[in-house]
Amino acid sequence: MKARLRFDKERTSEPIIASVILRTKAPINILSAEVDESAGEVLIEVPDDKAESTISAFKQMGVDVHVGRFIEILREKCIDCGHCITVCPVDAISAQSDLTVEIDQNKCVNCGACVDACPTRAIKLSE
Amino acid sequence: MKDIRTIEEINEKISKGTINVVTAEEMTEIVKSNGIEVAAKDVDIVTTGTFGAMCSSGLFLNFGHADPPIKMEHVTLNGVEAYHGNAAVDVYLGVTKMHPEGKFDYGGGHVIEDLVAGKEIELDATAYGTDCYPRKSVKTTFTLQDVNQAILCNPRNAYQRYNAATNGRDDVIYTYMGKLLPNYSNVSYSGAGELNPLTNDPDYETIGVGTRIFLGGGIGYVTGHGTQHDPVNRFGTIMVQGDLKQMDPKFLRGATYTNYGTSLYVGLGIPIPILNEGLAKKTSISDEEIKTNLLDYGIPRRGRPSLKETDYEELKSGKLRLKDREIPAQPLSSLKIAREVASILKKWIDDGKFLLSSPTQRLSVNEVCRPMKISKEAVFAQNVMIPTVTCNIDENTETVARRIIEKNVNHVVVVDNGGILKGIVTSFDITKAVAKREEKLSNVVTRQVVTVSPEDPIDSCVRKLKKHDISALPVVDSGKKILGIVTSEQISRLLGE
Repeated sequence: MKARLRFDKERTSEPIIASVILRTKAPINILSAEVDESAGEVLIEVPDDKAESTISAFKQMGVDVHVGRFIEILREKCIDCGHCITVCPVDAISAQSDLTVEIDQNKCVNCGACVDACPTRAIKLSE
Repeated sequence: MKDIRTIEEINEKISKGTINVVTAEEMTEIVKSNGIEVAAKDVDIVTTGTFGAMCSSGLFLNFGHADPPIKMEHVTLNGVEAYHGNAAVDVYLGVTKMHPEGKFDYGGGHVIEDLVAGKEIELDATAYGTDCYPRKSVKTTFTLQDVNQAILCNPRNAYQRYNAATNGRDDVIYTYMGKLLPNYSNVSYSGAGELNPLTNDPDYETIGVGTRIFLGGGIGYVTGHGTQHDPVNRFGTIMVQGDLKQMDPKFLRGATYTNYGTSLYVGLGIPIPILNEGLAKKTSISDEEIKTNLLDYGIPRRGRPSLKETDYEELKSGKLRLKDREIPAQPLSSLKIAREVASILKKWIDDGKFLLSSPTQRLSVNEVCRPMKISKEAVFAQNVMIPTVTCNIDENTETVARRIIEKNVNHVVVVDNGGILKGIVTSFDITKAVAKREEKLSNVVTRQVVTVSPEDPIDSCVRKLKKHDISALPVVDSGKKILGIVTSEQISRLLGE
């Protein structure tokens, strides 16, 4: 499972992720992190069996947790050209046998490299 | 070549419902298993299809007259400027014209898509007013049904084949061939390969002036050969037109190329009557027989070098081999929708709804596309570069500071004993180092140097200076050997001349 964590100014200096790892014993993988003096945003990956305990641990520490799909293909806009496949750094996008383009949410790291490559603006990074 | 059937006989069979029509992909398979002779006997028509961005496309609109009437001078449609140099209420909207604010995200192609989708479009026109057309402005909204004519008119569509693109520079570039990653890390290409219309009739035996075609989901016609038509080099094009009111937004889609511009994806399919065995052979062409070149779009020149010859079989495999690497390759056009175009056209013919037409004139087979005639030669990096002042990484900052004063320069290039570029320091870097009593040059040098090649046009140098917010570009050869330096002072001097 992937989750996006957002924490505010007061918490950017606290070792939140380390505390949650110690508490839940979940091997948390940090996919991306942007932290500055005003706020922090971290994308993490947690094994599914630890998902529930990890989310509640983060929530208890005052972190805003967002779970779910981050990047999606808007089917009504997509023309299935496949250009996005070539710019994906983690091979998360592929063409099916009928040439329909699909994103594997388990592989996607939410980097957004495909978004500005799409000629019909059919890829959306969800907030 | 002996004729085995005529267009008239084919149309009779379509009307009777006894026609045998297959797609170009199916024809390739049929000929492979049954041979040309049998295929020519069995198959009456081969349908082709393509769905790619065709930047030359555009739309003629006639709005009818307002009361009091206006001779429109400046016209925008949903904010996108339309060309108004024709009669009072006729305009031509080009697909690459962009909205001045929503750059790259909305342009003429998107207005056309919105029109076909039945959406309301805002018309804003101004005029200088004449005795017969006194009105000076008009603002209204309209839909496709409100205009008299909406004629899609594309001067250059359906390229016979097109080159594949990659990027050898060390940064990402955004081109009309899409987003190209640094150091040859992806390949994009265009065209449907064996489904491509002109590829299946490369000598334009059946495709000519007046040929009835599938255009944007409706019916259109070939009106002649297209601009940049280059049959000698097998880069033929066609000019087409069709009634937008019959078309379908699925097959006309606005396109956006980040930092490049807007365009329009056009679905286009042409039926090829199998009039003789030669046409059966031509329409059996397979992807591996269609060759094209992989070009380095990182080189900002007209004559981009070919990195290798490839074919559509390799391109469609999704991986392209370049030296010892495998690079992901995908089209910018949609093969999936191209297949749909060929299948729909096949169904129209099968259902007796689409008859074939004989061309009234053949397309030219013996012209070439020439480059632009330039009366004043462009300027390249090698024309403006000056000799570099160099230093060695082991020298101390004070020595380099003295050299900067002595030679009166702002940039010193760090090289090894063979003259290979290793880094760069500016007069600012050295001033800072001296002020901080930093003696080691290696602590202040910039090692990731943005460079240009001697053949780079001066316009590309200016873009690089601006993009990286720097003031000089070392000029190096392919082995990173230093040849000179282009500085912003040199460029300002050039502009002042």
